[in-house]
Amino acid sequence: MINSILRFGLIFILLVLLQVLLFNNIQFSGYVNPYVYILFILLLPIDVPSWLLLILSFVTGLIIDFFSGSPGMHTSATVLAGFVRPYILRIVSPRDGYESGSDPSMLNYGFRWFFFYALLVVLVHHTALFYLEVFRFAEFFRTMLRVLLSSIFSMTFILLIEFYRRGK
Amino acid sequence: MRNLLNFLARYNNLIIFLFLEGIAFYLISTRNNYHNSRVVNSIMGMTRGIEKKINNTRTYLSLHEINEKLTAENVALKNIISKLGRRESSLFFSANDSVYKQQYLHTSAEVIENSINRKRNFFTIDKGESEGIKVNMAVISSNSVAGVIVGCSKDYSVAMSILNLDFKLSARIKSNGYFGSLSWDGRDYRYAILSEIPQHVLVNVGDTIETTGYSAIFPEGAMVGTVSDYEKFGGDFYKITVLLSNDFKKMHFVDVIGNMKKTEQLQLEKLFQ
Repeated sequence: MINSILRFGLIFILLVLLQVLLFNNIQFSGYVNPYVYILFILLLPIDVPSWLLLILSFVTGLIIDFFSGSPGMHTSATVLAGFVRPYILRIVSPRDGYESGSDPSMLNYGFRWFFFYALLVVLVHHTALFYLEVFRFAEFFRTMLRVLLSSIFSMTFILLIEFYRRGK
Repeated sequence: MRNLLNFLARYNNLIIFLFLEGIAFYLISTRNNYHNSRVVNSIMGMTRGIEKKINNTRTYLSLHEINEKLTAENVALKNIISKLGRRESSLFFSANDSVYKQQYLHTSAEVIENSINRKRNFFTIDKGESEGIKVNMAVISSNSVAGVIVGCSKDYSVAMSILNLDFKLSARIKSNGYFGSLSWDGRDYRYAILSEIPQHVLVNVGDTIETTGYSAIFPEGAMVGTVSDYEKFGGDFYKITVLLSNDFKKMHFVDVIGNMKKTEQLQLEKLFQ
């Protein structure tokens, strides 16, 4: 228990630092900005209680918001991602179910499974984030393009991090 | 009572979710004065420290370029000073007031946080109320318009950049003096749109666009950009695409400009409205 709190605390700090110091400074042509911190929500253990998941999402989003000067937007999108995560886990569940107490990582359930799981959560998060940012439905497709491009980049970095973790 | 408890137990996740989203939306809806609240201000103070470190590294890497710009600006300023000296000695002023001739007060500041990829972009500078920065002062980066201060704390200020859907600026074509309204359409960080220029006006690609000074925020004649494209829009007006002369992606040092005669101008204008 204590062990996993320490482990996820470390993952959390690393991801926030990575996001704030590195990825917030990457802007490809004004469209694309990878948001990798969502990996923290992805990696929390499968049987984490929903209320804890929501509160952790809230705190994560809030901290990212403070660093990127965008009050509430990351918070809102991340809380939504935390809310839909149990449903997405149910949708993509592998044939023989989940092992209780395991992390939903590439290490435990393989590349294919992790890819679809991460893609769904990232899409929900990015869609909420970018539409909240624009706050109007004019330029619907332009925003959609931003969502898709940013999702591709976020997914790339998330998968890279997961490959690195698996390789170790 | 039991029903209520059952209800809460069944939907507790939904309730927590809605509650947290409520807080998030509250934060979003008060976005413009979020840095005014004291709690947020102190947290911002902590994150600002880190941001300053990030920015230091970034500035260090482009020191050479910044130096070149500063030298060029110094030379230009020296030229202006030498011209002024002559004019002053040849003119006779009856007003015995040392601030009579000075309308604008310049303060230099460093940009410590900046974004260009949102729809409503703001940037933060490292000077605040204690250095005399106030809301609605103009921000200019190497002689071209960058934004307007929208909030100050003790040591920091937040400015709304041109790259913000809510930003409006009165600007004119330098060659013929026709003025219109400049705003950003949220697409490319290098271009803004100048509208309300009537179609009988002669517009050329490459024409300089500068500020008018009508708003009493920006000094007259500050560079905005050059015309890169124009098309007829509706029956009467042009839609002019302006290539901004300020590169928002590498903005480091800015001038904050306060208009010392602004209250006087606004009060006078108020009498006739």
